[in-house]
Order: sequence, then C-alpha cells, then structure tokens
Amino acid sequence: MKKFFWLVSLFLLISLLFAACAQKPQSHLEKIKQAGVIKVGTSADYPPFEYVDESGNKAGFDIELMEEIGKRLGVKVEWVDMPFDSLIAGVQEGKIDCSISAFNYTEERDKVVDFSEAYFTAEDAFLVAETFSGSITKPEDVAQYKVGVQSGTTQDDWLTNVLQIPEQNLSRYDRADQAALDLKSGRIQVMMADAIPAKALAQKIGGLKIVYTGVLSSGPMNIVLPEGDAELAKAINDVLKQLQQEGFIDQLAQKYFTE
Amino acid sequence: MINPTYILQAKNLTKIYGENVIFQDVSLDVHKGETIVIIGPSGTGKSTLLRCLNLLTPLNSGQIFLEGQEITAQGVDADQVRQKIGMVFQNFLLFNHLTALGNVMIGLTKVKKMPTEKARQKALYELERVGLLDRADHYPAQLSGGQQQRVAIARALAMDPLVMLFDEPTSALDPELIGEVLGVMEQLAREHMTMLVVTHEMGFAREVADRIIFMEKGRIVEQGSPEDLFERPQHARTREFLGKISELYGKKAK
Amino acid sequence: MVSQFFSYILQGTSVTVAVTLVALPLGLLIGLLLALFYNYGGFWVSRLAAVYSLVMRGVPPIALLFILYFLLSGRLINLSPFWAGSISLGIISSAYQMEILRGALQAVGEGQMTAARAVGMSRLQAIRYIIIPQAIRLAIPPWSNEASIVLKDSSLVYALGVPEILRRAQQLSATTQQPFLAFGAAALIYFILVFLVNRGLDLLAEKTKLPSATA
Repeated sequence: MKKFFWLVSLFLLISLLFAACAQKPQSHLEKIKQAGVIKVGTSADYPPFEYVDESGNKAGFDIELMEEIGKRLGVKVEWVDMPFDSLIAGVQEGKIDCSISAFNYTEERDKVVDFSEAYFTAEDAFLVAETFSGSITKPEDVAQYKVGVQSGTTQDDWLTNVLQIPEQNLSRYDRADQAALDLKSGRIQVMMADAIPAKALAQKIGGLKIVYTGVLSSGPMNIVLPEGDAELAKAINDVLKQLQQEGFIDQLAQKYFTE
Repeated sequence: MINPTYILQAKNLTKIYGENVIFQDVSLDVHKGETIVIIGPSGTGKSTLLRCLNLLTPLNSGQIFLEGQEITAQGVDADQVRQKIGMVFQNFLLFNHLTALGNVMIGLTKVKKMPTEKARQKALYELERVGLLDRADHYPAQLSGGQQQRVAIARALAMDPLVMLFDEPTSALDPELIGEVLGVMEQLAREHMTMLVVTHEMGFAREVADRIIFMEKGRIVEQGSPEDLFERPQHARTREFLGKISELYGKKAK
Repeated sequence: MVSQFFSYILQGTSVTVAVTLVALPLGLLIGLLLALFYNYGGFWVSRLAAVYSLVMRGVPPIALLFILYFLLSGRLINLSPFWAGSISLGIISSAYQMEILRGALQAVGEGQMTAARAVGMSRLQAIRYIIIPQAIRLAIPPWSNEASIVLKDSSLVYALGVPEILRRAQQLSATTQQPFLAFGAAALIYFILVFLVNRGLDLLAEKTKLPSATA
C-alpha cells in the first residue's frame, strides 16, 4: 500500500511539473489568422444557446453569433463539441482557441482563463411542476425544497456557495433536460436554470411553470478566452461592440429567445 | 582426465533446497548404450537427480560431463545441452495444443530449425517407432495415458539424443497401459540407446537393465548387475527395500 | 424525423468502433507483455507489473483521458483527441487484460514449460510456441467480456470532444426532449455491437477449441 501511495504521489508531481512548465501564452490571433480557422469549443446540448438540430448541424444563439464573429475576423469557425466541464480545460491547455457556451464570469474561472466583454445578460429562473403546492416568493425560499441543477453551472455555484443549500436537497445533473424530466416526475421539486432555456424547456416538456425570474447566479455571458491573450481579446471585443451597435445581437435574441 | 568411453559422467553432485539435502556427493559413470535403472524409496532425490543431469534444475556443486565435455561449466548453453539429452516425465507433459505429430515435430522445426517437410518425415518415423503412426493427428486429450507416454518418448527420440532420461514413466498409468510403454523402452534398450530410468517396475529392471542403482536418502547405497543386486544385495537397506517392493508389486514381478 | 435522428446517432458508430479497434489491441499488447513480466520476470519486474496493474485499475478512465490529453499532449507528444482517448482506454484496459492473461498463463501450468525446456527450447521459445498458444485459448471467454467493456467505455472519449454514439444521443436528447428515443437508439446500437463482438469471439473460441476426448 505504501508503494502505491508513493507511486501516485510521483504521478501527481509529474503532472504538476508539466502544468508548471507550460509555455508562455502567445497570441492565438496570429495563429488563427494564418490558419484561416478559429477552433471554438461549445457544449452543444443547451438549447437555445447551442444545440444540434435534427440533421446534425450545430445551431443556436451562441453558434450563430460566433459564426458572425468568425466572418468579421475573416476566418472560418471550426466547432469542437465537448462536455461543458471540459471546455475551460480545453481553452486553458490551448486545445481550442476560445469557447462560447453560455459561460458566465466567475472568479474561479477567471483565475485560469480570460473573458470577453459581455454579449448577453442572462436571468435565472426557478422552474416547478404545475402541481407544485409550495411557495417561492424570494430566492432564499428554494432552500427548503429538493432542488435540481445542471452540474458545474453558475446556478450550481450559487446554490452551493451563496445559498448554501443542504447537500441532501441538491441534485446535480449532467444536462438541464435530465433535471427537467426529474422535475416533472417529482424526484425534485424545484429546478434552477438560465431563464431563457428554462422557458424553452417548460414549453417542450410541458407540465412545468416558472415561478421566479431574476439575476441571481450570473448575469452577463462572455466568451471564454485564453489567459493573458490581449490581442485575441481585443479583436473579439471589437467585433462584439460592432455587432451590438448594429443591432445584430438583439435580432439574434429575438430569433432564439421569443416564441 | 575424462574417460571417453563414458558418455555421461557425474562427479560429486550435491543438491540442497534450503535446509533439505536432496542428494549429496553422487557420482555416476554411464557407458554408451548402457541401460541403468535407478530404484529406491520415494523422496530420495532420484527425480531431482535426473532433472539436474539435463540442467533443468541447478546443482549446488559437482560437475557433469557429456561426451567428455563439461556441461556444468560457465558459459555452456543449457538449451543446446538439453537437445542432446531426452527426457520423459511421469505425467507425460505433452503439449496440449498440438497433435501427436505436432508434439514430435515442434522440437525439430523450432529448436533444430529443420525444414517442415523433413521434420514431418522424421516425426512420422519416430511415431512409427513407438507404434502410433495411426494416431499422428490425435490431440493429447484424445489419447490414452499409455499412448501419450509413447508420444512423449517419440518427441524425445526425434531430437536424436545421446542419452534418454525416464522419470517414473509408468507410475501415472493404469496397470493395463504400463506394458505398452515398457515395451517401447525395452526395444530402445535392445537398440542400445543409452538410458537412465527411474522406476518401481522391478520386472523391467531385472530383465532390461545392465546395471541397477539403489539410492536412499540422497546417496547411492549400492549398485551392480540385476543378478547381484536382486540375488545378493550387500546392504541391509537394499534387502529391506526389495522385500517391501516385491510385497507391494506381487512376489513374481512382471 | 426519426430516421434522420437515428442516422445521426448511427454516424457515431464508426468512432466507437475505431476507438475500440485501437484500445483493445493496444491493451492486449501491453497486457500480454505485462502478464509475461509478471509470470516470468524476476522479482522486481514482476512487482513492477503488479504495481502498474494496481494503479491503472485504480485510476478512473476519465482522469487518465484528461491527463493524457490536456496535460501531456502538446508538451511531450502531440495527440489528437481521438488518439489521446483511444490510448488512454487502451492503457486502462491493458491492466485488466494483464489480469486475464496472467491467470491464463498460470493455468497452462509449469509442466508445459518444463517439457518445452527439456526439448531444448529457450524460455522465450517455450513461451512463444507452447505457453502463449494455450493461454490465448483459455483467455478468450474472459477476454470477450473485457472487449464488451472497452466497447462501452469508448463513449468516454466524448469528454475530449470526439462525437461518438453516446454524445450524439445526448445532443439529440437535449434538442428534441425525447431522451427515451435518443438513448434507446444508442442502447440498441451498443447492444448490437456487443452482441456481434461476443458472438464473433464465441465462434473463435469454438473454432480454436481443442478436442477433449476420442470422438
């Protein structure tokens, strides 16, 4: 057993060593322009921000926005679909150039990656079954119910660290739709999610309603960029500003978030 | 220094396992074409002695000479030596995944690097020698114990060994199958194959052996011609052992 | 719509099969070497193999995937997500395959080695011509089980962004809100693959089976 322990320690040490001697970040912008391709990570299981349509193509608010950004930068977007939890590591380790996946700013994420200017501000919503008999008038009320949330999201963070909901009352799911299905079947009583997808979920699944909306966990959405890459950040922020001024983003929101 | 008339010579062999002395100071001279039968109570180191003679088990001390060449010397390729010393085991140890023919052939093709067709012919000849030509394509599991042991003998013979070692070749066999294996061994003796046989088959020993060695507690107690040993044993222990054995196997051995 | 749906998930099959076709033989190769080290290596070599097995069976596959792809790839070696994922799974599987083969090698028995040496074979020749052919036969049934496990574990490469069956089912489940259809389709494909692999190996076992008694 002792030998085993030493081996694992050695293994971890080597991993750390590799992490420590990572090359100094250099701008991806030049590399992107040279290749004519920007590799963008997304977790395409979060409609209407990013998803796969029935013919297998990526679609959604973030997708269309990023395609436009790519066009303005004069490069092609190459989509890399990863589970949400892998995206930050992907940017951090340079496997992808940036990531757009309804990310919100958090301090922890900021330690390892950078964020673009906000391109959209998200509200949170509490979703319940139509048969729900409890009452939620203020956000703190949810602490007394069984709550479900997509694992690793800002809502997860808010419930865990801000509200400090008891662990046994919190169920974490890989994907939002799993939580919604459990909500419908009564395994959980409340589900917390971004307001827009929550609305979409409620409509698709049926038998669910929104009892509260407000900016709690996150607020603005940003594109995740490699740590310390000011050139790429500036290029993308410039395009975002343009798109904002031209009303492109409002039109997109109109298209995807109102039914 | 080495008498060339001896094909195999062992000098002062000693084998110790931890605290256990298996045999000590055993010396043995084997003439070309001689059949030697080693008898003695179980656990007296007879089998280990055979294994040491073809270098399957390392010795603690002593020297072995094959055709005058020391095979226990530093730098001797043991694999080469074993090609020249055939061995037959108590529990046959045929290669289970190969047919009778395959068992006899594999040493020829893989060790002697003989071309396949030549090896086949040679293997078929050896199988015929042990009377099993019609079983060439049978797997070990399809053969009786006696047939398996005869294939094992053919496998050893195929390598054209200088000496054949038999380690209790019939003790795992049903009584009615013993005869066919002893028959093959008798025939080999008649053909003047040099053989060292560890066995409890006193009938075989009496009729076929040129010399009988009685071993006990890791030492050679007495050796001599079958007549001398069976009729006029010099040592009390030899008499006692022969008495017990004939009780066990019936007064009239064979 | 359902057929479009199914064909999108089905496209992931080639990835699943490709990952398995890399991971399984790689695991077999490393596993066989380690099993030989364990059984025939000296004290330290055998210990080393045992520790490797212990560690690799203890590491969650996903952790190894992340270490290989995010930490090592691009520094030591350059690996695409597909290769990083397949190699990781191969490494994990090698520990299990080592255990299977080590048992099979032991089951062949000391006697076969002794007999092979007595004919004049070197240790390596004995292992190659006598021990391994018999051990492989013994290993096929448990190996068939490991093959199914690797086939299903191949879904883990989705964590690196390789779009195999399960990831595609997840995406469609999220899009259409029809998880039963999406995961049902994925399960069906996995079932068919596992069934084919097991049947194939059963046939192989049957074909290579040694006759047991006189017919």
